[in-house]
Amino acid sequence: MKDTAILLEHVSKSYRLSHQPYSSLKGILLSMFRYRRRIEVHQALNDVSLTIRHGETVGLIGVNGSGKSTLLAIIARVIRPNAGRIEVNGRVAPLLQLGVGFHPDLTGLENVYFNGIILGLTRQQIAERLPSIVRFAELEEFIDTPVRAYSSGMVLRLGFAVAVHTDPEIILMDEVLAVGDEAFQHKCLRKIQEFQHEGRTILLVSHDMNQVRQVATRTVWLHQGRVMADGAPEEVVTQYLAFTEEMERRAI
Amino acid sequence: MWNELRELYRYRELLWTLVLRELRVRYKNSYLGFFWSLIVPLVTVAVLTIVFKRVMGMVIPNYSAYVLAAFLPWMYFQTALLDSSQSVLAQIQLVKKVYFPREVLPLAAVLANLIHFVLALLVFFVYLLGYVGAPLLPSVVLLPVLVFFQTLLIAGLSLIISCLNVFYEDTKYIVSIGLQLMFYLVPVIYFSEQVYHAQLASPEWQRWIYLVYHLNPIAMLMTAYRKILLPPITVQQIGAVQKQTFASLPMDWGLLAVACGVSVLIFVLGYAFFNKRKWDFAEQP
Ligand SMILES: Nc1ncnc2c1ncn2[C@@H]1O[C@H](COP(=O)(O)OP(=O)(O)O)[C@@H](O)[C@H]1O
Ligand SMILES: [Mg+2]
Repeated sequence: MKDTAILLEHVSKSYRLSHQPYSSLKGILLSMFRYRRRIEVHQALNDVSLTIRHGETVGLIGVNGSGKSTLLAIIARVIRPNAGRIEVNGRVAPLLQLGVGFHPDLTGLENVYFNGIILGLTRQQIAERLPSIVRFAELEEFIDTPVRAYSSGMVLRLGFAVAVHTDPEIILMDEVLAVGDEAFQHKCLRKIQEFQHEGRTILLVSHDMNQVRQVATRTVWLHQGRVMADGAPEEVVTQYLAFTEEMERRAI
Repeated sequence: MWNELRELYRYRELLWTLVLRELRVRYKNSYLGFFWSLIVPLVTVAVLTIVFKRVMGMVIPNYSAYVLAAFLPWMYFQTALLDSSQSVLAQIQLVKKVYFPREVLPLAAVLANLIHFVLALLVFFVYLLGYVGAPLLPSVVLLPVLVFFQTLLIAGLSLIISCLNVFYEDTKYIVSIGLQLMFYLVPVIYFSEQVYHAQLASPEWQRWIYLVYHLNPIAMLMTAYRKILLPPITVQQIGAVQKQTFASLPMDWGLLAVACGVSVLIFVLGYAFFNKRKWDFAEQP
């Protein structure tokens, strides 16, 4: 396996923002009669270059709208950049937000199969890992109950349990841990540490600076689609916090 | 396109899981399960049979069998298009997070409906052999060919519709209205022979009207289903003024070949269109 897990070279991504959204017939008709269509382009990522090696745990921080989710989406191959080159070596598993990919009318078990397969497992592999998934999610008694009847904590645990059992080389986490209760967060952190020992690569978007300090081996600070700082978590977090304080002071 | 198809093949297990999930979700909370999808055509055909025999004065032996032979393929066409129009949008959260060939979503909706259609056809044969007592024609061997080309046609349209519906949510309403109008332009509640003998047409135009009508691939496929499944019949309508007779026309193989060709073309164009836009889905706010 190559040393580099993720390579981004001069990656830029812009979204088209149309003020009159074309998502309805009315929108299209209106735009036809207008003198000129006004389409603004919003630059979500601006010339980002990053090299992430296998085994690194990268904390990705930045204010809302700085491009963190866009960066993860590009690495997950869900959206394509407008410019630049990306290279991903290894199987990527995004940790899904609460309830995404779950069907409320189906049982926990049926949803485990669907989620596992969409994340790249085979039926066979899921069957083998099922006991471990159910144990991790602590849902032994509820696995044959429709997910409709689950609490949000139970859905979260099940989703997380499937994702960590897909045996990914690269794990993407976009503010997914903020929802669970204390005990579950601890469990997840332990799992992350286990992944780190196994040499897996983790990209973690979080607003919890203590969490970033605690688990990340490297931190990247994004602002307005650019990399502002990249280095040891302690230093980058300190810079970032100083910056946000400064921003707040100016806002007052 | 070959690369896309190869990637789709790699994800065949996901496609199949989606098909099963679709079937499972549909019948999860109902006791009668699959029979619901039979009850709709059976009730419709029963009503149509009564209306056409008693009210319109059509004299056709086993009329209900002829209606079913066209209505079941029509149901397949209609429900598959309606189901798939929402298929991508319903999973947009997943599309925004996970990589997979996006076409599995509309194709799963089509395949789930294909399974229904095949099951409904089996019930149709039971009805035909057991109740009507009609002999099975040798041309029945062509049935899989018709189902295949109809599925290509539906898949092509589904790819276009599901893609457009992500960007313009009016699509699903337009499709639903279009299908309601289309119902009158396909031979379900009448016979294609009646199109040939349309009252307004002078004899030299008859051939042309018949031809243009059947350039619509779904209309031609439905005429073909009737002709390969059931023996030719002479339709009689006893109207208020006169009695009309519509002699059976033979299968027009040339037109059927055109319909199959158009179906392939629509599939190829639909898939190309979908591929062109599918990586923009995740950018929809
Ligand atoms: N689908 C989209 N269409 C248009 N603009 C978008 C879309 N997604 C994100 N943006 C914009 O791009 C910028 C970066 O967004 P995002 O990557 O979600 O930031 P973050 O995750 O750091 O909050 C924001 O200004 C956001 O408004
Ligand atoms: Mg975000």
